[in-house]
Amino acid sequence: MEKLKDAFDFRDFSRAEQVGFTIFSIFLLLFPWLGAGSFVKVVMIQFLLFSLFGMGWNTIGGYGGQVDLGKAQCVGIGAYTVALTMVWWKIPFWVSMPMGILLAVGYSFMIGYPLFRLKGHYFAIATIATSLVLQDIFANWKLVGAAKGIELPIHDHPDFLYMQFKSDTYYYYFIMVLFYVAIFYMNWFRRSKLGYQLRMIKDDEDAAESLGIDIRWCKIKAYSISAFVAVGGGFMAVYNLYIDPVSVMDLDLSIKIALMAMLGGAGSLWGPIIGAAFLVPLDRFLGSWLGGQKGLIGLDFMIYAMLIMVVSAYQPRGIWGIIEQFRRKGS
Amino acid sequence: MAFLEISNIVKDFGGLVANNNVSFQIEQGEIIGLIGPNGAGKTTLFNCIVGYYKPDSGKVIFKEKDITGLRPFDTNRAGIGRTFQVMKVTTGMSVIENVMVGAFCRTDDRHTAQSEASEVLNFLGLESVKEYHLNELPIAMQRKVGLARALATKPELLMLDEVASGLNRTETDELVLLLRRLNAEKGVTLILIEHIMEMVMSVSHRVIVLDYGEKIEEGLPGEIVKNEDVIKAYLGEKYAKSH
Amino acid sequence: MTLIDALLQGILMGLLFALVALGLNIIFGVMNIVNFAHGEFLMIGMYTTYWTSLLLDIDPLLTLPVAALVGVLLGIASYYSLIRYLLRGPAIAQLFGTFGLMLFLRYLAQFLFGIDYRIIQKGLLIGKSLSIGPFIFDWTKLAAGILSLFAFAFVYYFLNKTKTGKALQATSINKEAASYMGIKTDKMNAIAWAIGGGTVGIAGGLLANFYYVYPTIGILFVMIAFACVALGGFGSIKGVFFAGLLVGILEMVFPVFGSLVNSDFLGPHFKFTIVYLTYFIIVVFRPQGLFGWKN
Repeated sequence: MEKLKDAFDFRDFSRAEQVGFTIFSIFLLLFPWLGAGSFVKVVMIQFLLFSLFGMGWNTIGGYGGQVDLGKAQCVGIGAYTVALTMVWWKIPFWVSMPMGILLAVGYSFMIGYPLFRLKGHYFAIATIATSLVLQDIFANWKLVGAAKGIELPIHDHPDFLYMQFKSDTYYYYFIMVLFYVAIFYMNWFRRSKLGYQLRMIKDDEDAAESLGIDIRWCKIKAYSISAFVAVGGGFMAVYNLYIDPVSVMDLDLSIKIALMAMLGGAGSLWGPIIGAAFLVPLDRFLGSWLGGQKGLIGLDFMIYAMLIMVVSAYQPRGIWGIIEQFRRKGS
Repeated sequence: MAFLEISNIVKDFGGLVANNNVSFQIEQGEIIGLIGPNGAGKTTLFNCIVGYYKPDSGKVIFKEKDITGLRPFDTNRAGIGRTFQVMKVTTGMSVIENVMVGAFCRTDDRHTAQSEASEVLNFLGLESVKEYHLNELPIAMQRKVGLARALATKPELLMLDEVASGLNRTETDELVLLLRRLNAEKGVTLILIEHIMEMVMSVSHRVIVLDYGEKIEEGLPGEIVKNEDVIKAYLGEKYAKSH
Repeated sequence: MTLIDALLQGILMGLLFALVALGLNIIFGVMNIVNFAHGEFLMIGMYTTYWTSLLLDIDPLLTLPVAALVGVLLGIASYYSLIRYLLRGPAIAQLFGTFGLMLFLRYLAQFLFGIDYRIIQKGLLIGKSLSIGPFIFDWTKLAAGILSLFAFAFVYYFLNKTKTGKALQATSINKEAASYMGIKTDKMNAIAWAIGGGTVGIAGGLLANFYYVYPTIGILFVMIAFACVALGGFGSIKGVFFAGLLVGILEMVFPVFGSLVNSDFLGPHFKFTIVYLTYFIIVVFRPQGLFGWKN
């Protein structure tokens, strides 16, 4: 009960943040009725999805300070679990999705154990290595469709059990609910014992250890928790009705996830959301705008990359870090 | 049985013997000064006790339990707290949050941790700076936060690594009072590594002297300052003459 | 392919891998920064050779100095425009910073040259092979291996015999002590990036003689280089040489074993998976590498 109360308790945020969050929530709730076009709807769904991913990354990457460049592994596990169990055994989404999350958590726990013998760069590179291995396996494993991927059976009628709808609005509300579950969870997490301990680990590992914190165990816990992004993978499977190793497991996806959280402000509740709000539309509009024109492929990513470099060099704490800095100076 | 018993600790860094056969015992409630010239192996000994290093041989017995080679978080949970000579000045957390992390060592509940942290901050006179970040505070304050953090884990034995270095006269005097209160009111046993002689001599019940990794003397502060070997090894001609 | 055949081919590739990893390790040793963009430096070296030989209609081997020069300039430019600023920030920013550089160069290449796979068609050595007894070697690979060995030896000589090289090594052993002795850290860093860029530029030029060039090739080779560096020991020059050989042999010999067993997972597709796994296993169980001293 106490935990639940903490999850809904936003009192320690400033007035401006509370008002902003409320207005934003009303906007999200009403969005499908504002008459936006289908393209904008897709962008909004992507924004919510990537915010969710970013929040997952934030547990280990933001609060814990461990640069995880393999988050797409969990997304992929979630997506494949939902898709495969549906194709093979017709298992409904509502059963396969929790299965996917459990598998992703189990997988993270398993690889987290050796991974967290490593620190800093070594850890980051190792997360890339494990995710490339996993992607290679899926891309060559004929049983799971290899590089061709899997198509999900399309139902004639909308089906809630299998999460198949004709209109994007349903998908929108579904991902919105997941998004809020993630926000409330993170709101609790940031003030939980583990949340505080992770921030200490990020600041100063030696000091953390002297305060009774089992560093490796804390990191493994946070890493396993961050595997909840698998739920987004499951969503991608039923939403796109098609998955392959590139769309749900690629390194680019991992990078985007980490980048959005970092650009917005790693280690803050709003950071990943702000990052996604910036980069998803940028990505989509640039992509559809430039990608359509021949000879301009890659320009969107170049702009992206410039952003990463500038932020890393001048404001590693991200957009939210800049806002915080101004506020501290002002007060 | 002694409260803390160090027996025959040896720590060798590839040929450089930092601690050679160091043994001593400490009773509960004591304030011990651990002194010695630079490179005498004081901090190494600290790290061997707390678990940052694993001694090559020897034993550390704390409250009749063998804690040799345990990791620092385990020795902390067993009841040993420590501060660091150099605080990493970080920007991520406020003072009270820092201290709360310490308090979380003994509780899972945020509200308990918060009230315990406030209590420690009050005790150390830090309540007015609790919302500040470490980088916004002067060095003396930062060290006090380090002390508060360690104290919040409710240690029975607290090891202080050069907690007074860089402090001016008044600050040092305040610290001495504080340490005495800590010892008397909370019953915390203290071990201090210190360079400032006056401070160690005035606050310690007993003093242990290390030189070249070995224990060369142990005794009351009054005896130590008169001891020929100690004067030669560490205190130097100047201090000997002036006293 | 027989086992001995694979072994010999592996050694040739391994010499090239060692050269690729050399620059990464020098940069790491001197400034404790992992350059994610290293694979993209290689890619640019490849494109340099490709375009120079095509446009000027000269033999690709003659373009090696150009590839080296482009690499050196790229290294220096990266250092002064980005890396220096990253050094002031936390480690996480350094990681992301070079990551950003990697993406930028990759998509710059994609923007300029498209996603096509390109391969050099014309050249002195291209398509020719040498038979010694039962073994057949492509001249291009033979040249790549031998020239890589020369380049490596040259850098090794430079590091151990010249004043600048020794200063560089001193910096990598102890930055502070080196700076007390009057060695300028900033200059050393720039030199490390220049050497890193130059060597990988040459490696790219050599690789372009027999390998497809495309914008996303970097990640493959940077992972191989990471594996070599991890295996040889972060900061160790000798180590990275033997590690390169080992990775090269592993990568060639593994598919030979794989072809004996009929399985999804032992085919030639997985030759790089083995490299990634090697990296993972090494850093986890022997973080200092086989010859390393830095951890």
